[in-house]
Order: sequence, then C-alpha cells, then structure tokens
Amino acid sequence: MSRKSLYTLTSSQKMMIFVLSMSLYGLSNMFTELIPSLQLGPIELSVEYFAFIPLTLCMLFHPFYAAVGAALGEVIFGELMLGQFGGLGELEKFLTFSFAMYVAGRIVRNPQNRTQVGIAVMTGVIIHQLCSSLVDIGKVWIGVEEFEAVPGLAESVVLVEGVSFLNDVLFSGILFALLPTLYLVPRLYGKIEPLLGIKPREKSTRYEAAGVVSPKLVLTGTLLALVAFGAESLSETDWNFGEWDSGFAEQLGDGAIWLSIGAAAVVAIIVLLAMRAKKARAAAQAGDTGGVPHA
Amino acid sequence: MELVRNWFNKLSLDRIQLELMNTAYGSGHASLSRLDPRGLLIWYLFFAIMPWFVNSLLVLAGMCLFMVVTTILSRVTPFIIFVLCLGLIGQVGWLFVISLFFGGDISSALPLLKLTLKLSVVSLASITVFSGMDPEKISDGLLALGVPAAFSFSLSYGYRILPVLFEEFRNVLLSYRLRGKAPEHPGLLYWRKGAYYLKLLVYAFFPLMLATAKRSRTTVEALETRGFSYGLKNPAAKKLKLSHLRFQTRDVLFLSGSAAYVAVLFWFG
Amino acid sequence: MPNEHRSLPASAMPEKTESPAIEIIGVSFTYPGSEQPVLNGANLSVAPGSFTAIIGGNGCGKSTLCKLFNGLIPHYYSGDFEGEVKLGGVPSQGQSVAELSRKVGYVYQDFENQLVRPTVLDEACFAPLNYGLPDYRERALRALDLCGLAPLASRFIWELSGGQKHLLALAGALALEPDILVVDEPVSQLDPRHARQVYEVLRRLNRIHGKTVIVIEHHTEFIADYCRDVCLMEQGRVLWKLPVTEALNRLDDLARLGIQPPEATQAAARLAALRGTAAQPLYPVTTGEALRHFGGLLEGPIGEADDRSRATGDTRDIGSTEAGTFGAIGTIDAADAADAIDAIDATVVRDAISAAPTARNPVGGPAEPKPDQRPPAAVIRLSQAALNYRTLRKAEHTVLRGLTLDIAEGERVALVGNNGAGKSSLLRLIAGIARPSGGSVDVLGLDTRSTSVEELSKHVAFVFQNPEDMFIEDSVRKEVAYCLKKRGYPDAGATVETMLRSFRLEELQDRDARLLSGGQQRRVSLAIGAAVRPAVMLLDEPTANLDLATREELLGTLRELERHVRTVLIATHDMQLVAGWATRVIVLHEGRVAADGTAAEVFADPELIRRAGLALTQSMELSAGLGLRPPCAAPQELADRLHRILAEKEAPSHGARPQLV
Repeated sequence: MSRKSLYTLTSSQKMMIFVLSMSLYGLSNMFTELIPSLQLGPIELSVEYFAFIPLTLCMLFHPFYAAVGAALGEVIFGELMLGQFGGLGELEKFLTFSFAMYVAGRIVRNPQNRTQVGIAVMTGVIIHQLCSSLVDIGKVWIGVEEFEAVPGLAESVVLVEGVSFLNDVLFSGILFALLPTLYLVPRLYGKIEPLLGIKPREKSTRYEAAGVVSPKLVLTGTLLALVAFGAESLSETDWNFGEWDSGFAEQLGDGAIWLSIGAAAVVAIIVLLAMRAKKARAAAQAGDTGGVPHA
Repeated sequence: MELVRNWFNKLSLDRIQLELMNTAYGSGHASLSRLDPRGLLIWYLFFAIMPWFVNSLLVLAGMCLFMVVTTILSRVTPFIIFVLCLGLIGQVGWLFVISLFFGGDISSALPLLKLTLKLSVVSLASITVFSGMDPEKISDGLLALGVPAAFSFSLSYGYRILPVLFEEFRNVLLSYRLRGKAPEHPGLLYWRKGAYYLKLLVYAFFPLMLATAKRSRTTVEALETRGFSYGLKNPAAKKLKLSHLRFQTRDVLFLSGSAAYVAVLFWFG
Repeated sequence: MPNEHRSLPASAMPEKTESPAIEIIGVSFTYPGSEQPVLNGANLSVAPGSFTAIIGGNGCGKSTLCKLFNGLIPHYYSGDFEGEVKLGGVPSQGQSVAELSRKVGYVYQDFENQLVRPTVLDEACFAPLNYGLPDYRERALRALDLCGLAPLASRFIWELSGGQKHLLALAGALALEPDILVVDEPVSQLDPRHARQVYEVLRRLNRIHGKTVIVIEHHTEFIADYCRDVCLMEQGRVLWKLPVTEALNRLDDLARLGIQPPEATQAAARLAALRGTAAQPLYPVTTGEALRHFGGLLEGPIGEADDRSRATGDTRDIGSTEAGTFGAIGTIDAADAADAIDAIDATVVRDAISAAPTARNPVGGPAEPKPDQRPPAAVIRLSQAALNYRTLRKAEHTVLRGLTLDIAEGERVALVGNNGAGKSSLLRLIAGIARPSGGSVDVLGLDTRSTSVEELSKHVAFVFQNPEDMFIEDSVRKEVAYCLKKRGYPDAGATVETMLRSFRLEELQDRDARLLSGGQQRRVSLAIGAAVRPAVMLLDEPTANLDLATREELLGTLRELERHVRTVLIATHDMQLVAGWATRVIVLHEGRVAADGTAAEVFADPELIRRAGLALTQSMELSAGLGLRPPCAAPQELADRLHRILAEKEAPSHGARPQLV
C-alpha cells in the first residue's frame, strides 16, 4: 500500500494499529448488535455500526492497517464470537467495509481540517453503503432467473435497497459516523500517536485530491478499486494451496471423493470469476437507477 | 410503553456482559463439529456458491431439505432456524408485495420462491458449519486453507482481550455516569434516556481509544519477545499448529455422502 | 528464614565461572526523538545463577537496561546505541530479538497485556509454537508445573486472579526454557500476598533450577527476603552492585533516590541513633535478623517461632485467598505443601492458645452495637444488605452475606480483609453502582435501590482502584471540572482552582492525566472525587501500585482530603495506612463483618488477623515477635518504643517492663 505514502511504519507499529483498531471496533460491534432496531415493514431503522471508530483511526494512522483491523474486528467480535459468522457473506462485508474506510482515511490530508474530515466521513459511509446495496441488488439479480422478465421486481429491489441506503447514510452515517468523528479526530490528533510511539500524520502527505466527486465517478471508481483492493489484500495473504495438500498426502487413497471435491473446487473458482464479471455488469446497470434516490 | 420500561429496567451492563460472555465462551460441541474443519469449509464453499447457478426447483428444494437436516444435526436451536426462515420469507415477501405496485403479478412469486430457497440453502449451510464449530477450529481450518496466520492469532487474541476491554469499558462508562447528569424525565418512549445512553456509549470510546492504544503497545512488544513475528515467517510453526488436524473416516463418509446426494439431485433435476 | 539461603552455597547452580550470564560494557542509549540519554555509560555484570535486584529512582533507566538483555534495545527501539552487550560471553549484536528471547525471558510490569491467548495452556504453548518446537506441549506443561499452574491448564485467563496471571506470564516466558529471567516490578500490580507467591516461585526457579533471575524492584523488604545481589542505578549509570545486606545498609544512597529501606533496617538505624551507639557496620534487613538483633538488645527470651510462622502463614493465606475467589483451586504445589502442613499445625496450636480470651465478634454476626460511641445521625445505614453475582457458568456467587452497619458523619473507616472478602463490593453497594440482592442500603436517607447512580453520586464520590479508569478528558483541569460543569454547579471555576491548589496539581493542569506518574494520577483521582464536595467519599485501594515514596505523599493528600469531605471509607490492604489514619476499622471475612472497632483493638487480636488474612507491616510483625502490645505500625514508633523500654530497663536495674507481655 505504500505507493505514494510518505508515511513509513515499522512492522510492529502496523501491528499496533491493527490490534488497536480491531479490538475497539470489535467491541463496539458487540454493542451495536445488541441495540434493538425498529422494523418498519421492509425497512429497518437501526444503529448500523459505530463507523466513527475505524474512520477516526484511519484518519489518524495508516489507513490500510486501521481499516483492515476494523473489518476483521467486526468479523471476530461481532460474528464469530457471537456465533453468527456468515461465511462468504462476511468476505463481501470485509472487503467493502475496509475499502470504504481506507478511502476515507486517504481523503484526509490534514486531520485538523474539519471540512476535510466531514467530507471524508460521508464519502466513506456512502461508498460502504453503496457497495452493500449493490451487492444486495446483485444477489437478487443473480438469484432470480430472468430477472428482467419479472415485472416490477427491479423497481422494488431498488426501492427497498435505496431506502435502506438512505436510512443508513442519514441516520447511522450522521449520528454515528459524522458527528463523533468530527468530535474525536481533532481531539485525538497528536495525542494518541505518541502512546503508540508513532509520529502524528504530517499535513504534507501527497494523497490524491478528492474534494468534489460525482456519484458516477465514485461508482465506477469504487468498483474498479474494489477489485484492485481485493487483489491487493490477497497478495498480502499467503494464499497457497500447496501447503494444504501436504496434510492429505497419506489420505489420497479414496479417489472418488477427491474427484468430486476437486470438481467442486474447480467449479467454485470458475463460479467466483463468473460472479465477479456478472456483478460488475449488474452494478453498472443497477447503478444508473441506484443513483436515483439520493440524486 | 410498558415494554420499553421493562427493557430499560432489565438492561444492565452486567447482564449484557454476562450474556455476551456466555455466548462467546460457552460454544457447544455439536456432532458435526467433530469433523475436520478443512473438509467442512470446502463443503460449505460448495453449498454457498452452487445454489446461485441452479434454477431447477427440485434441486434447490432438495438441497434446502438437506441443509435443514444438517442444521438440525449440528444441534442449532430450532429457534434460530425459525427466526432465519421468518426473516428470509419476510424480506422476499416484501419484495413481492412492493413489486405488485410496480405492475407485477402473481407470476413473480415463483422466481422469488426460488430466490428464497437459494438464500435459505446458503444461510443454512453457514449456520451448519459455523454455529456449531468451535471458533478455534474455524481458524485452524482457515489457516490450513491459506488465510494468513494473523487472522487466527487475532481470533484467539479477541477471546483473550474481550473481558479486559469490557471491564475497562464498564469502568469508563461508570465514570461518565458518576460525574454526569442523567435527563430528569425519561421522555416519550424513554427517548431521552435512550439518547443519553447512546451518547455515553459514543463518548466512552474517547478514553477507551487512548487506554487501548497504551495497551496495544505493550502487547505488540511482548509479542516480539515471544517470537510471534518469527513464527509468522516460519512454515514449521504453521505446520506444527495444524498437525493436530486429522482427516478421518467420518470426514470421508460425510463428504462422499453429500456428493452422492447432490449428484442424485442433479440427475433427477 | 530469609537470611539463611542467602548464605547458602550455590550448590544447585551450574558452575559457570568462566563467563557472566549478562555483561554490559559502556552502554549508552537515547530513545528516538529524545535529547536525554536514558543509559549513559552503564556497566554491569551478572553472574550465572544469581538473584539480582535492580533498584533506582523513577526514570533512572532500570527498564531500559533490562530491555538490553533480550535485544529489544537496540533492535526493536531504534535509537542512538553505543557499547556492548554479551550474553553468556557471546556478543548479542547481530542476534535478533527472537533469538535472544529464547535465552532471556521477560515479564512486563503490566503483565496483563502480555497475555494474548484465551486459555492458560494456550498461553504457555504460544512461544514454543511460534518457534516451531515439536515438544511445545511438554514445554508448556513443564513451565506451568514450575509456576504451580498445572491444575489450571484448561482455565480461561480471565478466570485467574492477579497473582495467577503474573505467574502465567512467567510460565509463558519459561516455556522457552531461558537461562535468564527478567521480571519488571512484580510487586507493583499485585497485593502483598500474591507478590510473595510470585517471589516464592522465582526463588525456586533460582535455587532448584539454576535460573539467573533479575528483578526490577523497589520494595526493599522483598529484596531483603529473596535477592542475593542489589544493583543501584542513577541517571543511566550503574552506581554499584553489592550483596543484599550491604546494599540495603547504604542508607544515604537509598534516601537520596527516594527508596525506603526495609522497616527493620529503618527501626534499627533509628534506635542506634537514639541510643547514640556507634554506627554499626550492618543493620538487620530481614524480619528474622531484626528479631535477633532487637531480641539481643532486650535480652529477652524471644523465640523465632514467629518468624517461621510468618512465612508459612503467607503460603496458607494465598491458598485461602484463591479458594475464596474461585472455589478450591489448588495452586500450592509439592514444594509448598510441606509449608502448608506446617501452617495448619501452627494454626491449630495458635487457635488453641488464643481462642477463648481474644474471641471478638463471631464471624457472621452483625457488628456489636456501640450506641454510646456514635452520634445518632448515621450517614450510611446498611441493614442485612446482601450481594450476589451471577457468574458465567450460571452459578450464583455470594459476595456479601447480610451486613448490618451504621456509619456516622465524620468517621474515617478502613475496610480490611483479604481478597474476595467483599471490600470492593461493599463500596459499590454504598455508591449505588451495585444494588443489594437482599436487605437495604441507605445513604443520607436515600435508598440506593430506587436512586440512580447519577443522583447518588452528588453525595457519594467513588474513587476507583485504577485511576486511569476515571480519566475521561484530555487534561487534568478538564477532568476536575467535568462534573462541576455538567451538573452546573455555581462558581465551578473557583472550586476547580481550589482543588487544583489543594492537591498540588496546578503545574500539571494542562497535561493528560494518563501520562502522569502513579502518585500524580492518584492525586488527580482524589481531586476529581473531592471536587463536588460530597458528603461521603469511597476510596478503593488508594495505596495500591504506589512506590513507597509516593505512598508517603498520598498519606499527606488524605489529610488534605479531610478538609473537604467529612466521611471517608477506604478499602485497603495497607495496614500502616489503617493504623495511622482510620478512626474505625471494619474487618470483612467471607462477606461478613468479622470485627468492628478501633485500629488498636483489631491489631491486638492475632487470631483475628490470621483468620481475616491481613498482611501486617514489618514493624507490626516485629512488635508481635518481640511481644509488644499494641503493635507499632511504623518503624519510627517501634524504634522509639524500644528506646523507651531500653532506657527504663537501664535506669532502674531491675525495673518492670510494662510494655512487654
């Protein structure tokens, strides 16, 4: 992630940021899971998340480690520990959330500039909610055969997702992301960094300008960047099927099962690729209509 | 009104902590959780992805039935399944109702039913695998499948640090209450009180962030002295961690049984 | 007992005279971004198999010195580094922290943050697993066994007590089987009994397993009892390294750096000064030595049995402390078992001796009413107040079993008792943080069951054990002002000024309270509590985690507090505080009031002290050993008293000794 970053950290400092972000956001996630929500028909009014925690940390520290730490904190505290881990669905949440937080962190150049912080917060929240809505729409679109042929379905999906998008952005976004972040960032700037032995972020970081962004730009940029971000995250892992073979070497006797499992794995990979392609198409289509509610 | 008041009276941080800790540390040992996590994860992957590409009602229904059986086998409380189904039907049902306003008709119902089935298969598969399995086992399985070691460390660290964080959070919240001012009137539907507590919840993270920052520094330094970063780069360490995973007859039976069942379904469908 | 093993030949240790375990030659180090060097030409050589204490004032570079041993400096903290470090004769330059850590185990001062896994066995396995050692399980089990934690292997870490957590941090380091162990301030975060438990383990590791042990410590009584060498640091330099008795007799050096010598040594030195005898070369440093020393002066037939029973008493009480908290968990391993049996014998004998005449309030009975001593208006009134907690495994745990107490205005009450006796729970009941499960608690006429915490806290201030938990603002001034502003007190500004001045915080008012020293943090927490001018103030362990100099300072602060708050309750382990401050002492034992009276009354009852598991000060133990009643709480008092006795004895050649029983 250090293409343009002036911000060099030792690996232990990265680890500190990661641990900090993970534990705090994880804890907050346990609370938000418990706060009851108000269900109004298909639309749910709820405290979606305490996004101010990762947002604040992304703005003060290296955004990548804070963002990934927070997303992982949600998976661990909010899902695994409460016994509601959702498998692949979490992967999608993990990627969209950490990506949105990362972008918000990158937008801020001067943590003491409230306008900048505010814009970054809302951009982050909107990116995240937009991605989630698109994924949800995509699910229906992929899941329903001949989606276009069912009358009224496209409109109703967009309506439901659009309203929940608006709710999340306006309710959770302002109350639990914008206001607390505006309160916390300037107060913590220069205060929390020394506790980790890190120099406060300089004003002179050459991050790309993102002041005025049109929704369309964000949308296309988001999708492209999301893929790129995913790929980059993958490159940080040691995704390696070789190791997993070694444990099985002695078990390879029963060919039939392995054949079926192998087939399943191949199918899974093809499917993943196909899905990604289809999703991109879906997003491009749905995006035009998806943009309506807040336009 | 009465309900809200009851809810407020019952709600104490002690209780929440107790409930959360019970959920987090009291994970049950279901029969399926004795299977090898690697096999289960592959199994899950198949049932999480495959339904999206199937449009045959028979295959989907068959898969769903199979998932219901495995979910019951994994001793998830029926309540969870009930809530899940209700949620899914509700969601898709609303879609159907709204689509009627946009010129839809009764023919929309069938595609939406299929969607419900797909969603159910995926959700039930994840419940089967992840609700019954001990999180340490999940993390071992993921580690074996190539997820970075930092993930499995973070998971067990989460289990370690949760009670500490909770204790600290409680104390900070208490500090705010001992020195703050509660609204004099609870307000309509207790909204004032609700807003007061929500505000405290947010404010409490300011001191908590500083305290946690202080803590993470020692933790990371101590990790260094205990060879953590050395272990991350050391393939022998990973192998050793996973050496207890064994692929046994019951895993083979389970996977081959599932494969046979799905094959039969496709053959009919 | 303590002085014997120091003179013991190092038979259990491997003979490795050729090279010191650790050698530091002319090391200077400056942290990045700092002007001042922390280490400034430090030289040190530690022999293999030794038990060394490193002492020195705050910020003298003790911790930094110890981080040289495992390479954290200069590999982890990049800074200006000069000089050479050798481990077992091999230069450590070029070796990574990971490699060095296999030879040097490190236990941090805030050991809680060192523990990273959920269960005890996992934690012990963690380091050997990281190094890919195939016998990791055996190593972990061996390490747990050494620390007496083997029976707890499957427990979650949060189920352990503070002392057990510290031992686990130790076991985690031991699993790599290092030759050298570095332990940073074991006593500072533990209560006295748990600290002794940790030191007993360290002693075994040193004497039986031949480990080189280095502790950073400023509690000289522990040093006297357990260490063989002492190394004094001042301003980044090692001033001297001496055998323990000699070291602790360097009274001038210790006084200059704010380190208190053992009370026995202080008393002996003061007595010598009072009597005008020529300065002795070496004053006693341990209880045993002091008993012999003073006993010799008094020429009385004073047995040393008490010394023995003190050591065994400690072991026993640790056991009962743990049992009280978590059900009977055996933490005493074989080596301690013999002591435990002795302890039981001693208990039986002592019970037989002291049962009848000294029996006070029976356990469980309500406090004796003392109508004539109390003004009628009770500020706090507990009637049959009980408190249960629900624990994780859905069991009910009873902490307080029906307390009936009246506390009147103007009283200074000390709550004492061992861990798990219910001290903190009682404070929480009074503050309204916990609601009684049975009975009632009235504070200033308000029933805590129906009064919110916010309302009650206008009259009752609660000061946490850990001051950091009270800090919710980013400067000292704002901390003190927070409550006044939120609740709209009139003339808040003036009150803040007064408080800052009273608690000597004016110069610190713009600093972040989290970054202050322990004593300063404590002053801030007291100022926060006193700012609202509450009718009642509750302090939980105000002297815990403080070094001795800061502790003295705190006693002064408490006196200041009396000007602002009329009624104060303190839960504490610190008997010197109790003796010097309280007007009333309430002894809690297993959730009941075991005794209620003045400090003199309580301390005059050895059976009660034993039963309630109170940790006496060294002066009190010496008094008991010398048969002085009531016991003296502080060394000055002891020396003065001994001086008087000796003077009387010398004047009329065969005078009665009224103070001796």
